[in-house]
Amino acid sequence: MARKSRLKSAEERTGYLYTSPFFLVFAVFGLFPIVYTVWVAFHQWDPFGDPTWIGMDNFVALADDPRLWIAIRNTFSIWILSTVPQLVMALFLAWMLNHSRIRGNTFWRSLILVPNITSVVAVAVVFGQLFGRDYGMVNWLLTVLGFSPIDWVNGTLSSHILISFMVIWRWTGYNALIYLAAMQAVPEDLYEAAEVDGASKFRQFISITIPQIRPTLIFTVIVSTIGGLQIFAEPLILDGQGYGGGVSRQFSTVTLFMFEQGFSRFEYGYASAIAIVLATIVVAFSILNFLVVRRIQKA
Amino acid sequence: MFSKKKWLAASAAAASAALVLSGCAGTESDSSSSAGGSSGSSTESNQKVLQFWAFGDMGLAELIAEYEAANPDIKIEMKVSDFDPHHQGLLTSLDSATPDIAAIEVGYSSLFKAVSQKFVDLAEYGAADLEGDYLDWRWAHGVDLDGRIFGIPTDVGPMAVCYRSDLFAEAGLPTDREEVSALWPTWEDFIEVGQQYVDATGNSFLSSTGYVWNAVKNQSDEKFYSADGSSLVYDTNPQIKRAWDLSVAATPIAANIGDWTADWNAGMNNGAYAVLTCPAWMMGYIQGQAPDLAGAWDVAAMPEGGGNWGGSQLVVPARAKYPAEAAEFIKWVLSADKQLELFKAKGQFPSTVAAYSDAELLAFESEYFNNAPVGAIYAEGVNTLLPLYEGPKERVIDTEFGSALGRVANGEQTPQEAYDSAIEAIKRDVG
Repeated sequence: MARKSRLKSAEERTGYLYTSPFFLVFAVFGLFPIVYTVWVAFHQWDPFGDPTWIGMDNFVALADDPRLWIAIRNTFSIWILSTVPQLVMALFLAWMLNHSRIRGNTFWRSLILVPNITSVVAVAVVFGQLFGRDYGMVNWLLTVLGFSPIDWVNGTLSSHILISFMVIWRWTGYNALIYLAAMQAVPEDLYEAAEVDGASKFRQFISITIPQIRPTLIFTVIVSTIGGLQIFAEPLILDGQGYGGGVSRQFSTVTLFMFEQGFSRFEYGYASAIAIVLATIVVAFSILNFLVVRRIQKA
Repeated sequence: MFSKKKWLAASAAAASAALVLSGCAGTESDSSSSAGGSSGSSTESNQKVLQFWAFGDMGLAELIAEYEAANPDIKIEMKVSDFDPHHQGLLTSLDSATPDIAAIEVGYSSLFKAVSQKFVDLAEYGAADLEGDYLDWRWAHGVDLDGRIFGIPTDVGPMAVCYRSDLFAEAGLPTDREEVSALWPTWEDFIEVGQQYVDATGNSFLSSTGYVWNAVKNQSDEKFYSADGSSLVYDTNPQIKRAWDLSVAATPIAANIGDWTADWNAGMNNGAYAVLTCPAWMMGYIQGQAPDLAGAWDVAAMPEGGGNWGGSQLVVPARAKYPAEAAEFIKWVLSADKQLELFKAKGQFPSTVAAYSDAELLAFESEYFNNAPVGAIYAEGVNTLLPLYEGPKERVIDTEFGSALGRVANGEQTPQEAYDSAIEAIKRDVG
């Protein structure tokens, strides 16, 4: 008995040894920064003097800071504008790839992932030029079609749409690939039976494909939410002049606001408080997602 | 069914290949640069590589090559970033991986004075003897409250107006630089000339109202802080109010093109705007961006006298690997001779006093700028400008005013709304 338990504990030790790299890396790069951020958030902390404990002051000031509310509004606006069309388009793209009989299937399937491996900085720079006010191709097209040109970057909604285009362009293919993988696992006989019953392609899509890949749909919604609420590089590069997210803060997001306060204004404590607010928002949304998911799965 | 499995495997392979590819791209460039560094130090084991962080193009490539040729054991590696990221990155890296040499612009000098202990006192390397060589107010940007010399001045930024004489001719305006200077004794005149230009050509006169703002706010002995730096005057200083009002008045003649953007660079060539208020260092930038327009750009006097815009100190962080070698290089490259060389080649105007009576400098004409006597013009500019105090939150305040002017330019807010919101934002951040 004693011998056996010793064996088991040796085995356990080996197990822990094998998994330890993850926990060590997580402790250093995950857990420690989280705990330390909370600690910093309760201080007046900058590079010029010793930190002073100020309790909840950063959070009180934050609740009263219009820039935070603008950033939250922008973040949600960009998130909705980018996530909804992105997932709908990915779904149809996957469905078309799954059912099409075109030549070079594998080529097309690989091609849709290409935008995702493009550097986000390059994407933002190129889109910034395409949507330029004076020499941008989009405005040129609008003028040719008889519309008046749009000052994309300076408008609130137009800048959100512009950023959403970048996100959609980069992530639609990625999500389509995930949907495609899920669709391939749907048993063929369901479609055959539906075909025999005279269901249209659209009806098959709604009544077979969607319910069958529901877990994957939920997964992509959650991942897009977590990513979308932390959008940063696109608005940063679109501004080009600073970290304010445009002259009216019209596309300042929560992450950009945090970066501005931390690394441009050097208010480390305030920036940490913003980070905690952002984390809280993401956690709240993940819980909300989880509850919705559970309901859908029961239904 | 089989084909589906095959496809799944293929797509998984494609996905992982993509990851590997993108991963490779990162590591490859990392390893190549470190391999370059290590091979350099292994073949010539005694070579010292000095890391030099700067913003924009300091135009030092030729001088660095000259120094490396004269000192084979020294190699200088430049890392250039954008203006604000450079300073912010430098500040946050002072306790970790610092460079050996860095540039700090005058607008950031007070911010770095607060952490001057994190830089080498260059007096240890004989810098104290150099004080008399430089403009006293430029020298002061690199001296902290305890008298430690943490930086040595690079150029000084006296201002003039750079204008496109070819476009002026098309608009029926005079083209000769004396006559052009006589067009605008005051900023009100300047804006009126701009309006005439806009009426005649249909094009914008200025790239943005920021060029009036940057010029006028620097034409006084006080900007956002009182002259002794003891108090904030951004909301009471009449010069700032005047700079604001003039910038607002210039809105109809400005194109609202952001500085340093692709459109701005293009505009230097394609006539999207016809003038820039032009510190000496801007000449090098224009020459670099519009090489084909030699002779078209010219230099005239600025309304209402001189002002300083820009200039930097070179500093050696305390954690530098080769502080002595870095200090030697700084003293060499910022000496009167080398500053004069740099002015002739790239336009940065010397901060060394001896240069202003140097016959060669005073006689220097820029071939690119239609043989304008830029040596004499900018020497006069240095003599007429008023030194002013640049406080620790200089950039924060300036950024808010700049954004507010942007909101006026794109019609988002009325001038009064924009001004009020700028003041409110500065009060919250600065006090």
